[in-house]
This record gives sequence, C-alpha cells and structure tokens, in this order.
Amino acid sequence: MSGTQDRLVYMANQIARNFAVQGEAVAIAATARHILDFWDPRMREAILAGDRAGLSDIAAGAIARLQASP
Amino acid sequence: MGYEPQADFGTPEVRADTQVTLTIDGRSVTVPAGTSVMRAATTSGGAIPSLCATDSLAAFGSCRMCLVEVEGMRGTPASCTTPVAQDMIVRTQTPRLEKLRRGVMELYISDHPLDCLTCSANNDCELQDTAAEVGLRDVRYGYAGAHHLGQQPDLSNPYFLFAPDKCIVCSRCVRACDEVQGTLALSVEGRGFASKISAGQRADDFLSSDCVSCGACVQACPTSALMEKSVKEHGKPERAVITTCAYCGVGCTFRAEMRGEQLVRMVPWKDGKANRGHSCVKGRFAWGYAHHQDRITTPMIRESVDQPWREVSWDEALAFTAGRISAIKAQHGARALGGITSSRCTNEETFLVQKLVRAGFGSNNVDTCARVCHSPTGYGLKTTFGTSAGTQDFDSVMDADVILVIGANPTDAHPVFASRMKRRLRQGAQLIVIDPRRIDLVRSPHVQAAHHLPLQPGTNVAVLTAMAHVIVTEGLADEDFVRDRCDWDEYQDWARFVSDPQHSPEFLEAVTKVPAAELRAAARLYATGGNGAIYYGLGVTEHSQGSSTVMAIANLAMATGNIGRPGVGVNPLRGQNNVQGACDMGSFPHELSGYRHISDGATRTMFEQDWGVALDPEPGLRIPNMLDAAVDGTFKAIYIQGEDILQSDPNTHHVAAGLAAMDCVIVHDLFLNETANYAHVFLPGSTFLEKNGTFTNAERRIQPVRKVMEPANGLEDWQVTQALANALGLGWAYTHPAQILDEIARLTPTFAGVSWDRLEREASLQWPVNDQFPDGAPVMYVDGFVRGKGHFVVTDYVPTDEKTGPRYPLLLTTGRILSQYNVGAQTRRTANTAWHPEDVLEIHPLDAENRGLKEGDWARLASRTGETSLRVSVTDRVAPGVVYTTFHHPETQANVVTTDYSDWATNCPEYKVTAVQVTPSNGPSDWQEDYAGLTARSRRIAAEPAE
Amino acid sequence: MTTEAVIAEILAAHPREQSALLPILHDVQAEFGYVDAAAERIIADALNLSRAEVHGVVSFYHDFRSAPDPRPVVQICQAESCKARGIDTLMQAARDAAGERVRLAPVYCLGLCSVGPNARVRDQLHARLDEAQLVSLVKAQ
Ligand code: SF4
Ligand code: SF4
Ligand code: SF4
Ligand code: FES
Ligand code: FES
Repeated sequence: MSGTQDRLVYMANQIARNFAVQGEAVAIAATARHILDFWDPRMREAILAGDRAGLSDIAAGAIARLQASP
Repeated sequence: MGYEPQADFGTPEVRADTQVTLTIDGRSVTVPAGTSVMRAATTSGGAIPSLCATDSLAAFGSCRMCLVEVEGMRGTPASCTTPVAQDMIVRTQTPRLEKLRRGVMELYISDHPLDCLTCSANNDCELQDTAAEVGLRDVRYGYAGAHHLGQQPDLSNPYFLFAPDKCIVCSRCVRACDEVQGTLALSVEGRGFASKISAGQRADDFLSSDCVSCGACVQACPTSALMEKSVKEHGKPERAVITTCAYCGVGCTFRAEMRGEQLVRMVPWKDGKANRGHSCVKGRFAWGYAHHQDRITTPMIRESVDQPWREVSWDEALAFTAGRISAIKAQHGARALGGITSSRCTNEETFLVQKLVRAGFGSNNVDTCARVCHSPTGYGLKTTFGTSAGTQDFDSVMDADVILVIGANPTDAHPVFASRMKRRLRQGAQLIVIDPRRIDLVRSPHVQAAHHLPLQPGTNVAVLTAMAHVIVTEGLADEDFVRDRCDWDEYQDWARFVSDPQHSPEFLEAVTKVPAAELRAAARLYATGGNGAIYYGLGVTEHSQGSSTVMAIANLAMATGNIGRPGVGVNPLRGQNNVQGACDMGSFPHELSGYRHISDGATRTMFEQDWGVALDPEPGLRIPNMLDAAVDGTFKAIYIQGEDILQSDPNTHHVAAGLAAMDCVIVHDLFLNETANYAHVFLPGSTFLEKNGTFTNAERRIQPVRKVMEPANGLEDWQVTQALANALGLGWAYTHPAQILDEIARLTPTFAGVSWDRLEREASLQWPVNDQFPDGAPVMYVDGFVRGKGHFVVTDYVPTDEKTGPRYPLLLTTGRILSQYNVGAQTRRTANTAWHPEDVLEIHPLDAENRGLKEGDWARLASRTGETSLRVSVTDRVAPGVVYTTFHHPETQANVVTTDYSDWATNCPEYKVTAVQVTPSNGPSDWQEDYAGLTARSRRIAAEPAE
Repeated sequence: MTTEAVIAEILAAHPREQSALLPILHDVQAEFGYVDAAAERIIADALNLSRAEVHGVVSFYHDFRSAPDPRPVVQICQAESCKARGIDTLMQAARDAAGERVRLAPVYCLGLCSVGPNARVRDQLHARLDEAQLVSLVKAQ
C-alpha cells in the first residue's frame, strides 16, 4: 500500500466488505456511521476530497452519505 | 513493621453450607463441615505441630507430627486428614502426644544437618519451629543415619536452589508442583529412608527437567531445602508490602518482601483473589530488571536523532519538551500532537496521559498499545453485550464443564490462570482447543483436549460460523435463554445466516482445513456439555477479522445460554497487566473513560467542566493513522509512555518512517528502547516497585500497586506526566494517585464506588462498582445485558487480503513464550533468558525437509514487507504450511516481516497471518546488521553531561 | 527392531490408561532387563504422564532397574510346550544356582517346542534340559 489516500480507500472498502452481508442499504449506513465514529476528521476530509475510483459500491455510498450530511 | 510470614492453616479452606461445632482443648469451635481438625484448631488460635501439611495442598498425612486425641476414637489420628464432626472433643496437647511427636521429630532431625544458626532459613523454618514446639533437645539416634547429608545442592535453576541435605522428604514440593502448578516435574525417587526428591528423571537437574520455575515448590517447602537464591544473597526479609504483578493480565498479587530498600523476594499473596497464592516465573522471580545497569535514570535530550544524547536535569528536559510542543502547536495546530498510553502503567498514569493529550495538547490523538492487541475485544463485546470486558472472574473456571480455548496459549501467556484451568481439567472438565498450533494444553500430563481444531490461520470466523451452523441446525441452541435475554428478531436473522449450507463444517472444510466431523463433535460438546466457558486471546483479535471473531464468540455464547452465571461466559485473556485498565481509562481516540464516545455531548461536558477546558468533539488518530499522518507531514509530535512501538507494532519499516518524520518524539521508559532510537527526549520511567497506583486485570479486578522502594529516577511516572503538563502551564497539583483515582471515579460511572481507601480495606474490586453493583460484579449479566437485549451480529467470513502464493507459500503466525514478556524489555534483562535465549522459527518437518533445513539451522524469513533471520526448530506442533515464531528479542525483529493489514473495525494489526517464505541462510540479515549499527549510533550518550 | 519399536509393541498390548503403567513397566523390564530414561520418556508420553512421575514409580519398586544388568543372563522358556514338558519343576534349582550372580530371564518360546524344556545363553540354544543340565548351564555363566 502506498500513500495515505490508497490506505483510506482500502480501509473504507474493508469496513464496507464486513458490513456487506447485512444488505446494501444497511451496510451503507453502517459504514458511514463507523467512519464517523472512528475516523479522525482529517481522514474523513481526505477521503471526501480524494479520488473515489477505488471505492466499492457500498463504500462509495457511505462516503456520498457523509458528504451529504457530514 | 516486623516480618511475619503469611499464616498457614495446614489444610485448604472448605466451603460448605453446613457448620459443625466441636471442642478443641476446651474451646468451642465452629467451622464449615468437611474442614480438617487441624484447620479448625489453627483458625481458632490453637497450633498443632505439622510438617507435611500446608494450606495450599490437600492433606497428605505422612509425617505423623500432627497427631491428636479424639474422645471416643482409638489411637491418635492425624489431625490434617481427620475431618471435624459435630460435638467432637479433641485434645491437641497431652503427655502421650508430646512423647509421640518428639519421637517422630527425632527421626527427622537425625537426618538433618544441625547448622541452623548459619542456615539462611534460620527463624523461617518450619522444621526448626516444630522441633522447638515439641520440645526436642537431643537426638537419640545420633546423626549417623544421615541418608541425605553431604549431597550436593542443585544450583541449576537461576532463581532457587535445592539442597537435598536439608530435605525432610515431606513431598510438599512434589504435591505443589502436581496440585498447584500442574506441571508434575518432581517426584520422590526411591523409597523409605533412601528416598529423595528428584526433578525430572535420574540424570536431570531442575533446569533440564519439565520445571517451569513457578516457585510453588519453593513456597511449599518447610525448610531451606528449596529456597530463593536471593534470600541467601540478601538475607532474610524484614517487612512485606502487598502489591500487584506488572507482567500479565492475570494480575497476581504478591508480598514484596524487603530488607531495607532491597527487594529480597516476591511471594504470592494467598489472599489474592486473582492468583490465590500462586505465581509464575515472571512475577515471582523476574524483577531483577528494576536494578539492571541498562536502566536510564537521568533525563536526556537531543536536537536531532543523529546526535548523541545529552544528560540534563529534569527542569531542562521538561522545558525543552514543552518548548518544542508549544512551537509545533503554534505552527501546525493541536491535531499535530498526540500520545500513547501504556498497558504497563497504572490506571492513574494512563488516565493522566490521555488527559494531557486531550486537555493539554488539545487533540484526541491518544491511543494505547491495546490497539495492537485487544482493541477488537473492546469493539466486539461492546457491540454484542454492551460492555468492553470479559464476563467472568477467574474463579468461575472451577465451575466450567466445557472449556473452549481459542487463539490463546494460557500455559505460556497466562500461566497462573492456566494452572487453575488445568486443575479443573484434571477434575474432569472437557477441553476444546481451536488453534493452528498444538499448544501445550492440547496434550500435557493429565490434560488432554477432547477436540483440537488445527485451523488454517485467519479462518477463525469460518470455524465459529460452522460451529454455530451445527448448533442451530441440530437444534442445540438455548432458545429460552435467547428469547428472554436477547433480541429475538436479530437471533433469527443470525440463525438463518449460519444455517445456510454454505456455512456447514463440510462446506467450509476447504477453507478452514478442520475436519468437519471433528468440528461437529466440538460444537455439540460446547452446546450440550454443561457450563461452557470460552477463553480467547490474541489469536482471535490480531486478525483482519478480529472484531468479527469476537462478535462470533459472543453470538455462540448467547445462542447456547452460556452467559450470566459462574462457569460460563466469554473471557478475553489480556496480554499485558493493565490492558483492561488502559482501555477503561479512555485511551482510545474516540472514547473517554468508561467507553463513552467523545461525540457524546453530556459526557464531554462533564469532563470539560471538571477539567476547565473545551475538548475536541471529533475522534482522533489511531497509532497507525498517526504514523501515516507523520509521513504525510501533518502529525509532528508524540509522547509515548512505557511502550516500544518500533518493536511491538507491525511493519517495522513503516513505524520507523513515521517516527523519523516527526519533530518531537518523547519516550518515557525504563530503558533506551528501540523506539528511543528515533526520540528527541528521553524521560526516565519508574518500575511498578517504585510507585503507587492501581492495575485492572483481565477479570476487571482493580488492585493496588504499592511503592516498595524509592524510584531510581526520582519520580513516579504519574509525577513525570504531571511535570510535563505543568511545564505546558496546566497547573496540575496531584500529590498522590488516590486523588487521580477520585477524579476517575467522579467522571466514570462504572468506577463510581472505587477509591484508594476502599482498595486498602478490600484489597480488590471488580468493576462496575456503583449504585447498582455496590460491591462490584465478579460475574456480569446475571440479570440481563447492559445494553438491554443481547445483540446478535451476523459475522461474515471475509478472508484476509494477505494470501499465500508461489513466492510466499507459508503462513507465519506469532505468539509468546512463558519465560519472556512481550517485547522482552524487562525479561530479557533477567535470568529468564536461561529458558528463551533467542526467538526461533517453528516449522513442520515436511516444510523443513523441502528446504533442506535441520533443527538449529539459520533460516531467512521473508515476506512482502521485509525479512529477518533466525534459527529453526523442526516440530509437528505446527501444521504443514504454517510457521510460528515469538517476538521477544529485538535482534530478530519479527515485525520486520509482519504486514500492515489490520482488523477492519479497529485497525488491530494482523500479526497472526503473514505469507512468508523460509530459506536457508548463513546468519543475520542485512537489515539486522544495519539496524544493529543504527542502534549503536543512536544510543550514544555524550561523555560530558551538559550541566 | 529398534528399542522404540519394541516398546511401541508393548504399549500396543496394553490399554492407554494410567493404570496400565505397572504392567507396562514389568513388560519392558522383562524384555530389556531394565527401564532406562529413554523408556521412561516414551511410556510417559504414551500414557500422558510426566516423565518425573514415571521415574518416581520406576525408582520406587525394586523390580525395575534403570540400566542394563551387567550380570550374565540365562533365558529360560516359560511358554506352553516347555511348561508342559516340566520347566516349572526345574526353576527352583535354577534359581538356587543363579543366586544374585546370574540373571534368569523368562522368554516365551524359543522355537524348539518339541524338544523342551529349552533355554538360551547368548546365541546358544540348549534343549531337553533336566535339572542337572540346567543347573550346570547356570553355574557355567
Ligand atoms: S518451580 Fe514450579 S514447576 Fe518447577 S518444580 Fe517447583 S512447582 Fe514444579
Ligand atoms: S524439598 Fe522441601 S518440600 Fe520438598 S520434600 Fe524436601 S523438605 Fe519437603
Ligand atoms: S506474569 Fe501474570 S501469571 Fe505471572 S505472576 Fe505476573 S500476573 Fe501472575
Ligand atoms: S501434618 Fe498431618 S501427617 Fe503431616
Ligand atoms: S514353548 Fe519353549 S521353545 Fe516353544
């Protein structure tokens, strides 16, 4: 893994993957909640500002949700 | 205070519902039914001479010294083996008894050297006391019988000696090793007068025998036949202070026996509720590091890490540090600052460090070494049960019928608890072990696991899901319990999930490598074998699915109704002594003490009012994020108390890069540890012997740590943190940790009823201690879960991204060993190295043969992240395809090879799974040699102290 | 057969229970004339006892030796045919002749059943023994 953005994307995807079993809607909400609860605001800002190409659908959904209501 | 050994009541305490009243020497005595006459006499103020009895062991009845007369009974029964009866009339002192006892005593003395005056046990010898008690003056047999006289002492153990000439063959040592420790390393060799105590087999000495140096035999020995070498060296102790071990999460309490300022020996405290009078080699003997020459006692600073250290005064060091911190804060903001608390320090010290970071630095960038061990426990148990802690006390294991050990190696990592567990197993409880490696518990004398599931590393969730599948689909779940205590809808979702044929043991066998039939049998046993208790360790948490595994364990316990009474439960075995405490004290970046989220306004306001500052409402950075941010240039300064993150955290190269990028690294420790190679400030720390405070063990038991000697560095650790805070202008004025504990209690509902005074009186308290549980809670969730209903969480098995392939075909998993502790900073500086001089790599014979490796060869261990070299040990303890090592020695730097994959929820690093290749090598790797060079350079201390 | 293999055979003939310890030790003693440290280890491992425990038992009973017996050995067949042909009636005389100086070891069938009672000294077989022959055989050692 190189670079902080890659790492953040990896982390978000990993969280999303573990919630995925609960179904997409729940997983998106849970992933967003998890990031809100456990990530330093700078990390959240960075992932919001950065390239989202590598995000899974659920992770992307969660980030979009965080953007809508941070 | 004069020196008194702890009272010995001769035979163990008996718990019974009925009481029996009898008369002993005219006194009326009431004791629980089943108590021995000896114990009834001694607990009521009488004394009966004895030699083979001691209250840590079942009565044996061999020495015939404790004879008494009982009205209506013929002869003179041994009081240690005779139980009391209602209305019994006992006489312990009559002319006939005196004569008999004197005769027995003469036999013992005739075979014993009469050099009491020069013996190091003089005045601390039961033989001597008993001889005096029975009035023995001269010996009729002469001293010619002398079977044991003139035999050479066995000095092989680094900490204690065995002098056969002083031995009276009472077999207390043998029985202590069998009953208390469960190692069975000793035996009585030969018979009759020629018999003697022998360790191992004929040619063995103590060191080469199975002895694990727990000291139980030394403690049980009535004479100086088995005795600590330190007593010979320093003389007899003059006073004793009760304190708590600073090594592992068992939290054994000890009498630190002192002579002046010199610690003479540590003797396990019989009234300690965690250890019940037992100990292991670390706590009992490995305290010599406190006086080791490597210890740094003067503060040191340097402008940059390529310079040698400069020894300075405390004032100068603190002013320098405060100056740097303030400058960084002014330039980069509060969020560029952070700190790491230590699971080895006290609750009070930990609380102060996080307070310094939150209230002083002004950020929530505080984390703790529990990040790298038990953070998933916090997350998983809080999510499912509502509290981030184990559910039971240690005593509970004595009520367990089925013990499931997963990802833990108690005989090495939690030895005193393991001895309790083994005692229960010898009584007939059944054992299931889930571990890639055949740990000692799987099969060792008198203990045999009913099932060992040697799973592929990284497949815990799959194995637990398969067990749940069996339990649900075979109708073994305790649905009444679930309906009553848990959320029924969630249970049904979960039950549907685990029932899926894709989660059957047969289907998952390809992934887990666990034979399905064996897994089914294990699941049935856990669900139906009576009280089922789960104990787990770092083999559960240190995975990319660590949090999922903890929740899967909790699911299993709830589904089978194994929660809320003695003998059951979910029990994390904590690594370091105060992991539980450090977590409780608000060491995580998102949580204040008592596991309350920093975004919770009411809680934050309470702290803000108490501390008189505004707190950042957003979670801060975790350790790995701090290191990332440092490399990115947004994190600049760190205060690290009592941790060696360079050695203990994964991916050493990445940690080194992060530290190297910071402007101010403050290391507060006993030794110039590996992390200090990158430090600008070194603040000398104090050992647990030099400070007051409290530790909280794995059973949530808060116990006092007491200062037995003055700190060599002049300040207790909490005083150092306070001095730093005050250099930053915070104006703290604690004069004793009791005041810090009061602040913790004031701000933390689960600690509301805890105070130093109360701990002085009651010795220990198991949190929660508050209005609901005024005396604490040995077993949790007796009347329901904290969060209302128990929460079932569907835990999907998401395999790790760390995969084997052609280049790295083997899976490395890591662990620890009995005689060493964590990164070994302390134990490596003691004689414990006699047992573990270096880290070795365990490899299966097939894999070894494929690579042309033989026992003891050097091998290169390489992963995607790095490589190191170490010697191999060829053994079928590990399965083909799996290799194993420990991480106690910096020379090996096992974490050079571990990756930065981590738990999805908590970023607890995945120490337990790394894809590696092993090839023959000639010796240490380049990295090891470079590193040795760097270490030597960065540890230079300027010859001229700059004063 | 290696020592380990022989002990493995003995172990296989007994239940894997701690109560089998004494019978196993007797068989090993009879087979080798001693129970040494290596044998103690193998037996301890098989019965899941500690090696100290097994050593304690071995050293407690005078029946067990810890090292090879330096005395000369006369192996006397105690199996069915030799019994039928009267070996039992010769044993007392053999024991008297042996005293403490010569070790008499039981064996079970030397393969000469039709010409018993039989005995063996080193590689030499002796058949059709009567009391006088057996006594002189023992004395000759
Ligand atoms: S120190 Fe412990 S393990 Fe060693 S012989 Fe004594 S009781 Fe047994
Ligand atoms: S060494 Fe001590 S405890 Fe052991 S038999 Fe001898 S006197 Fe008793
Ligand atoms: S290291 Fe653990 S088991 Fe050993 S004495 Fe200390 S607390 Fe007890
Ligand atoms: S103390 Fe009772 S027989 Fe030894
Ligand atoms: S029975 Fe004696 S030789 Fe066969």
